Amino acid sequence: MTGLLPLEGIRICDFTAVWAGQTASMYLADMGAECIKVENPYIWNPMTRAAAPRINAAIASMLPSWLGGHPNSDPGPRPWNNSPGFIHVQRNKKSFTVDSRRPEGLAIVKALIRVSDVVAENLALGTLEKIGLSDDAIRAERPDIIILHMPAFGRTGPYTEGRGYGSHIDAVAGSTILRGYRDSAPESNVQIFAGDFWGGMHGAIAVMAALRHRRRTGEGQVIELSQVESSAQMFPQAALDAAWNGREQRTIGNRSIEGYVPNGVFPAAGTDRWLVISCRSAAEWQALVGFLGRPEWAQRLEFETLAGRTAAEDEIEERVATFTSTRDRDELFHALQAAGVTAGPVLNAGEAAEDAQLAAIEAWKRLPATDDYPETLFARPPYRFSVSDVDLRTPPALFGEHNDYVYRELLGLSEEEIEQLAADGHITNTYHPEAFGI
Amino acid sequence: MDGGARREPNRGDPRLTPIAGAGKVADVDALEGITVVDCTAGIAGPYTTKVLADLGARVVKVERPGGDPGRGLPPFLHDEPGPDRSATFQFLNTNKESIVLNLSSSGGREILFRLVARADLVVTSSSPANEARLGLGYAELAKHTDAPVLSLTNFGHTGPYRDYSLSETTLFAMGGEMHSHGLAGREPLKMGGTAALLQCGAMGAVAALGAIHAWERYGTGQHVDLALFEVQANSVDRRNSNILAYRFSGRIPERPAGSSAGIAGGIYPVADGYVEVTAGGGNYWNRFVEMIGDDTLREPRWQSPAVALSPAAKEEADAIIYPWMLSHTRAEVWEKARKAHAMVAPLYSGKDIFENTAFRERGLWVEIEHAVLGKLPMLGRPYTLEKTPWRLRRPAPQLGQDTGAVLRELGYSAHDIVRLLAERAVA
Repeated sequence: MTGLLPLEGIRICDFTAVWAGQTASMYLADMGAECIKVENPYIWNPMTRAAAPRINAAIASMLPSWLGGHPNSDPGPRPWNNSPGFIHVQRNKKSFTVDSRRPEGLAIVKALIRVSDVVAENLALGTLEKIGLSDDAIRAERPDIIILHMPAFGRTGPYTEGRGYGSHIDAVAGSTILRGYRDSAPESNVQIFAGDFWGGMHGAIAVMAALRHRRRTGEGQVIELSQVESSAQMFPQAALDAAWNGREQRTIGNRSIEGYVPNGVFPAAGTDRWLVISCRSAAEWQALVGFLGRPEWAQRLEFETLAGRTAAEDEIEERVATFTSTRDRDELFHALQAAGVTAGPVLNAGEAAEDAQLAAIEAWKRLPATDDYPETLFARPPYRFSVSDVDLRTPPALFGEHNDYVYRELLGLSEEEIEQLAADGHITNTYHPEAFGI
Repeated sequence: MDGGARREPNRGDPRLTPIAGAGKVADVDALEGITVVDCTAGIAGPYTTKVLADLGARVVKVERPGGDPGRGLPPFLHDEPGPDRSATFQFLNTNKESIVLNLSSSGGREILFRLVARADLVVTSSSPANEARLGLGYAELAKHTDAPVLSLTNFGHTGPYRDYSLSETTLFAMGGEMHSHGLAGREPLKMGGTAALLQCGAMGAVAALGAIHAWERYGTGQHVDLALFEVQANSVDRRNSNILAYRFSGRIPERPAGSSAGIAGGIYPVADGYVEVTAGGGNYWNRFVEMIGDDTLREPRWQSPAVALSPAAKEEADAIIYPWMLSHTRAEVWEKARKAHAMVAPLYSGKDIFENTAFRERGLWVEIEHAVLGKLPMLGRPYTLEKTPWRLRRPAPQLGQDTGAVLRELGYSAHDIVRLLAERAVA
């Protein structure tokens, strides 16, 4: 692995929080940008480094595992450095602390902006303006800066005061209404955060496009990524069916909108073991019929056409489920694939962690233990560059881990200045929960 | 795309002094001057190249004889199938050109190799077996181009599942966090539409832009190998973190009993639909109560963690919250929520998104003018770039509409083109 990184020499002054923003800057850090997290030790950004600054094992065990599954189920004294939900979006980044609400802190942030190429943020609308970092103020420090804003519902229009996490963005973007059971109302739909993934990727895309424009022209720009408008593009079929045909799409459960019948989740032998089967063509249907042993019910002439199978979809699903329910999930998976039928097991998180294919394509990289978490495997960026070292290069940035680098090396402050800032509480590696007020 | 020589990268330092006059012109595109040879089909790969095309890259879509199977994806205009009538295809292929090459023929492959020599990026989405058969593998393409090649495959180029097929549902089942999506005691649930495939396409665009930067800055050509399965296993939508939580603690997330959480939270019915509510604890509870405007709920006892877990307390709160919700519309609830900064938002359908005037006024929708379909609404920009605005330059191409023009650019004579047509190398 040789060669310079795609974004070598690009620096990001990173104010992002929660998932969408922190993911966007992580993808840029993966590409080689020096991403410096600006972290305020007196402000607890919810859902950014852990569920809470102080949590015990009992509370952690009641939280969803992505949030509360700390090492050995014990958050320890620094939960912000080992919540699985958040350290996985800190890879390849640096972290420094500063209270940017105070004048000397703001001066430090401005000094960082002067040597940065990108400012990224997805804080509640107006947060940066409040501390004196409007777009104009940022550009006064660095005229060719690229500014990425990722508001939930846009920076203009009637929804600017709307507040939300991923689940609220999924709701308005049209995701939630499309993913329930066919026989139940949306009230029972549980939360997912598809929009965080989507928004994070598109934030990185937009910044890389703007960096390319700046390389050609010297010109920076402001990017606005309204997360809800962006995420609506994850469901173009529903939006365009309405726009072109006046149809309102609702959930179809596990059936396919691509015209595959059968397409569903079928029970396998054992407890909570499921197999997906998708017949994507007439040939796959014939292969499935062969695999089932050519039972009489499956050989009906009308089932050779998609229309015929669609008319009998309930029956086909029941018959297939009867077949799969007494058989081993993984044996079915491999045997169906060998027979030419698209099939795949519903893998839980543990099974995915141990999956042979992900191991074979080297999806993980072992990182050494720190004071906050044990040695274990972490995800690499999900692509392999054969020349550029686009990889998990440095471990997740712990809170305040790079204070020395930022204050001393990058900003070149004197020992006296650094001592004063430390004495004033800007430079630290711990949160100060007494100041939280929550 | 003129000239016979291989394409040279447009090198430059990231802080190069400005090109005189550039950037002052209206309608400058961020990826202007980039040429992408797009050998993808279906959903994920075409979304990758759509992102690049919409940012201003010239994307030449190489279709097989008969066309990209994506042309057959519903929904169709007025529910009538046809090669240009798929809304999905029209969405996925805005701003692209189309040529038809038969890569099973040596003549078709020769054209492809001439074409990729002019590319800044080649994107493929064939299986490893088809890559080898059609000349689309990196080793073969690298003989004809110095530029980067991004390959999207189902499971990568090695390992026990290498040759397995995949669908939207198996992709989310194996890679994504399907296992914990849905209700306890019932089967796990997929996402709506083809969200998992589109997410993989978006990740392809992230990888593509990284490759373009390395190519333009250093002249680095390379293989960028992206497996859809791995993209989902990396999903920030709980999957990556649930895998890490398993490694840390052994915990495996299960499907919950229902959407509700604590005293108030989850999905509530309102007069004309549903809203999503987060009201757990502290500020979020206070803002929620402010939105409802009820004195009983303002009492401090509701803040106690023990009350939050008490079924009786939840019943008491529901007796206030449900009637309030059912006496308000989604629009009314969301307006009050915004005023109170409460974490509450309506469940919208695609129809709501199309009919919403605020989204329209902000520019979410554009209009295509298609030679066959006429004028139709289309989803527009996923982001706004101040200096290089997203723009629709042309609708999705008709099958092979640019074959002749591209062949002429590549130096084929009229005589050659007649021969290639007769040989069925092109269409």
